Amino acid sequence: MKFGRRAFLQFAAGAVGGTLLSPLPWKLADDSAIWSQNWSWRPSPERGLVSKVPSTCLFCDGGCGIQVHLVNKKNAIYIEGNAANPVNQGGVCPLAASGCQFLYAPYRVSQPLKQTKARGDASGFQPISWEQAIGEVGAALGKMRTSGNSQGLAGISGRPRSSMFHLWRQFFSAYGSPNLFQMPSHADSLELACMLTLGHEATPAFALERASYVLSFGANLLEGWGAPARMQSVFGQWRQERAGIAQPKIVQIEPRLSLTATKADEWIAVKPGTQCALALGIAHVMIKNHLYDDFFMTSQVVGFEDWIDAGGNTRQGFKSLVMQNYAPAQVAEWTGVAAARIEEIAGQFAAQEYAVAIWGEDGGKTPDNIYSDLSFLALNLLKGNMQPGGMVSLVPPVPLEVLPEVQMDQWAYRGLQQPRLDLTQTRQLPLPGNGLYAFLDTINRGGSPYSVEMLMIYEANPVYSLAENRLIKEALGKISSVVTFTSYMDETALQADLILPNHMALERYDDVIGLPGVPYAYYAVSRPVLPPRLQTKHTGDVILALAATIGGTVKGSLPWKNFEAFLQSRVKGLAAAGTGALAGKPGVQPWALQSGQAPKSNYKNPKDLWNKLTSGLCWYGPPVDALQQINTASGKYELACVSLQNRGVNVEDAAVYLPHFAPLTPSGDAQAFPLLMMGYRRLNISSEYLANPPFMTKTLWDFLLKGNDLFVEIHPETAKSLGLKQGDRATLTTPEGEVKVRIRIFAGAHPGTVCVVHGLGHTAYDEYIQDKGININDIIEVQMDPITGMGTVWATRAQLARA
Amino acid sequence: MSDNGHTQSGVLYGMAIDLDKCTGCMACSVACQAENNISFRPDESNKLRSITWMEVYYLDNGAEHPDYRFSYLPRPCMHCNAPHHSPCTFVCPVNATVRDEATGIVGHIYPRCIGCRYCMVACPYHARDFNWWDPAWPEPMEQMLSPKVSTRMRGVVEKCSFCSHRLNAARSKAYLDGLEMSEVTYTPACVEACPSQAIAFGNLLDEHSEVARLAKSERAFRLLSKLNTEPKVYYLSRHPWLHNLANASL
Amino acid sequence: MKEEKRSTSGRTMLGGLFFIAGLIVALIVGWVVFPKVLYSQKTQPMNFSHAAHEDSACEDCHYFLPDGSYSGTPGIENCRQCHEEPMTDSEQERILVEEYIQKDREIPWLVYGWQPDNVYFSHAPHQAAELECVQCHRDVTADEEKLPILYENRWTGYSKSTMKMVECEKCHAERGASNACQTCHK
Repeated sequence: MKFGRRAFLQFAAGAVGGTLLSPLPWKLADDSAIWSQNWSWRPSPERGLVSKVPSTCLFCDGGCGIQVHLVNKKNAIYIEGNAANPVNQGGVCPLAASGCQFLYAPYRVSQPLKQTKARGDASGFQPISWEQAIGEVGAALGKMRTSGNSQGLAGISGRPRSSMFHLWRQFFSAYGSPNLFQMPSHADSLELACMLTLGHEATPAFALERASYVLSFGANLLEGWGAPARMQSVFGQWRQERAGIAQPKIVQIEPRLSLTATKADEWIAVKPGTQCALALGIAHVMIKNHLYDDFFMTSQVVGFEDWIDAGGNTRQGFKSLVMQNYAPAQVAEWTGVAAARIEEIAGQFAAQEYAVAIWGEDGGKTPDNIYSDLSFLALNLLKGNMQPGGMVSLVPPVPLEVLPEVQMDQWAYRGLQQPRLDLTQTRQLPLPGNGLYAFLDTINRGGSPYSVEMLMIYEANPVYSLAENRLIKEALGKISSVVTFTSYMDETALQADLILPNHMALERYDDVIGLPGVPYAYYAVSRPVLPPRLQTKHTGDVILALAATIGGTVKGSLPWKNFEAFLQSRVKGLAAAGTGALAGKPGVQPWALQSGQAPKSNYKNPKDLWNKLTSGLCWYGPPVDALQQINTASGKYELACVSLQNRGVNVEDAAVYLPHFAPLTPSGDAQAFPLLMMGYRRLNISSEYLANPPFMTKTLWDFLLKGNDLFVEIHPETAKSLGLKQGDRATLTTPEGEVKVRIRIFAGAHPGTVCVVHGLGHTAYDEYIQDKGININDIIEVQMDPITGMGTVWATRAQLARA
Repeated sequence: MSDNGHTQSGVLYGMAIDLDKCTGCMACSVACQAENNISFRPDESNKLRSITWMEVYYLDNGAEHPDYRFSYLPRPCMHCNAPHHSPCTFVCPVNATVRDEATGIVGHIYPRCIGCRYCMVACPYHARDFNWWDPAWPEPMEQMLSPKVSTRMRGVVEKCSFCSHRLNAARSKAYLDGLEMSEVTYTPACVEACPSQAIAFGNLLDEHSEVARLAKSERAFRLLSKLNTEPKVYYLSRHPWLHNLANASL
Repeated sequence: MKEEKRSTSGRTMLGGLFFIAGLIVALIVGWVVFPKVLYSQKTQPMNFSHAAHEDSACEDCHYFLPDGSYSGTPGIENCRQCHEEPMTDSEQERILVEEYIQKDREIPWLVYGWQPDNVYFSHAPHQAAELECVQCHRDVTADEEKLPILYENRWTGYSKSTMKMVECEKCHAERGASNACQTCHK
């Protein structure tokens, strides 16, 4: 008997039969189906109990209440708005909704890094321990100080509306350096405008919740202006249908058809940079037709009528200046808006009880020309908006515990005596504020009387996001040591010698003090919603540790155990002030409060207030009338900025004192650069410290970004005259440089302009962000305001040519 | 069953999006991505390959400067209520996408889907996207995936679910609290996120619900109503040009 | 001729034998070997005796949360409430306290009814429908010395006792519960 071919086949037939009679094939068929449900190359989310932890969003200055969803109390999966927060009322912006992508960003800095090769070489970063990092920086700071160059420490801080900034200031003062600056913002110039008119630093706030007519001079209400989520929520309320009640009218005045413009009731396409002239033209019509409160304007305002200066000379007043220079026919010529239209708008604006003029192009990200700010304030003053209970008030200060007085030793005293480095070429600035550009200018032209040895940069990415970022790049090259405090490996961190990574926004205690443009007082605390993922350290704690390393009076001026204790100490003051209450339920309307009408306090003691603030409740208080506190010499609103005469301004020209239309001319030859390039922002593109997260990049249209190509907008006529068609590749050149772009023909662009979006063109981070489009800040030009030294941005001369 | 093929359960979830309130901020679209574990790739600019449940469209009135205006139109799945079938459920050969007559929600079950993409062809709203690649999240972003929604695999279609997992969660709570299932309300992620409160969601059959009230508004319209797909997503606008565009194809 | 015929019938008989041998081998493989090979046996990271916890109510560890979700397998925080310090000198309790509670580590329990990601299951409606726990779970009140072994399918990764969709659907149909896809899928 042998097992031949035939036997084999018979055996096999039996085996097949037996197999079919067994569960094997059927079980495997079934298993293959359910196996395919669990492809191992597709991630399986970790399961567990989902909890919500309330906190405050730190991704911008908007102060929204958020709830972070956690799985098993450790994985953050989702961020929703906190419905009990009056600012965002449960909504969120796309940046907050993307928040977890920053927590789990692959480009986070996981531990202190020291550059061992040339700056900018990412491969040169070597991890070091926190002890070593703090020890080295502390030793360097100590050495600078004892060698008499404490003023050689400079700082650029992001997040100015936080106690962190106060801590930085305390540290710089105790250390002995006057050179602490902030990233620019519209608040910088507004503060100075209030300083001139009201005699104290403040920023205006607008009661938009009850507006019936909004005259917006390029304020991008829906694209990041003010507190972004508050504006979204206010806009939703404006557009809420209510039987028998008319919706407010929104008139948007700007050259480009922005999102706000298309959503407005009317869009007035002014020529670029002429909004201020239009405001003064409207003022002219109001004065001409006597549509203002004469008694108020003469009794409580200096400089409406002609006035007498310190030298006894009669000076021209606002009324006369406006009547003389801003007749509708003249303004029509500047702005391109017909004279009759100006008359019509002025009539509507004056007639509406709750009409308000707002301004601030560029989403409030850059300072304005000081005379523009003064002009828009003047228009509101004329309208009567600054009278008690009016539409324009001031962002109320938050009565937090004041920091203890700085103890000064000889080094600190000497250092603080040194001139701050925001010097202009010829003289000190007439009106110094946050003169970051003047500082960079001083460094770059070698105009500093002492050497800047170390620059600290906190929660900011100026190498990317500063307009005309060439200036900071140049300045970094002249500073021997650059230390950054950031959570991410951004463009600025790449240029650092040492990176001391901060906890990211969801991992730390922090706070939000007041909201831009918001009339009620506001304070909110952010708390760690989960433990730090990486070997990072709270920058506040690092500052305290550095102060301890330096020792002496520096240590004595910063006596707190840690940042949390510091924040608690500040909240004690808030509790003691007793001027506000906590919003813990939906429906609280802080905007309904009257000036001086403090809500009933609803916390027991400082500890209770702290506990409630850290459990997601926010503190709010009443508004502050604009004229409630006036610190000017005259005790009145100084429409004519009388104080300028003591500040070394050439006062030959009467207009110097008064709000007037004084555009700063962009450089470059109008023949070689016949176009004006203007930037714009969108809420779904993060354009500042944070890079665009992948979630938001997904929402960009393919006519804005295609592959790595960015599209710039031009008017059809402009395209025709340049011989460019939809989608063409082109070279965009400005006096600052050139970039490759593609063309989008957009009927909403103003003829003769090129509109470029902010927030793209990163060179750092990862493949989800890098090299997408171009960074407008590389080719933008900043015009420095001669009075304030601030870098204003409105347009850059440009040329487009087919590539 | 009634003669139009629907059971009468008293619940029909629908949505009303007020385009006059919508500011195109994209928070809805982002919240949807985070909520539903929607995958992303380094380059998302090829919109035929990009997966977006809540797509925000750009529409314009075609006029010249300075009369030119544009608007945004957030587009979730319409959860078409046409008798007997939605366009997609009608063509699905494997019952992977089926309309629940008790809630009106059109579901799509990924492991069941064979990736034939008939439904994508059938859907007049481009509400469906295909997984051309296995989803991949850069390290360590897998940690932010939500366990409430499963991740999809290469080769299947996906679309907006009206956050039906949130309905399930709301019902669980209602069972515990002893409520009637027909009274259960819930809020999808996009509605919750919208900072200008432009989106209303609820039971279209409940006369007192905001969504039912808005659906009857003079400003209300639906996309491609000429196709009789009976979308359960309503739009509101005061601009006639948007009403007109709604019947042109997207 | 005769020779040939015999040899043919012999072959047939032998052939039948081969066939039957094949059949038997396949049946043994299919019915006995295959199930053994298909499943790997996994033991829990430590033992837990429900019987030893008779002084506690089921709801002390298996409870609903206010949002309607179910705590399911208890976490280490549950255990900590009683076992911050060892209460007996049991070796298993020592492991619990020293290896998990003190180190703040969750016990990586194996779940006998682990469902895939695309399945949504909520205990709340099933409790509301007055289903008994033992209709789906093993009876833990019976004296159980050691936690049962988990049989894990080597190919699919599923537990042998994972309930299949057909069982869910059947019960839903019988009780008039919804069988719409998204009732149980996510």
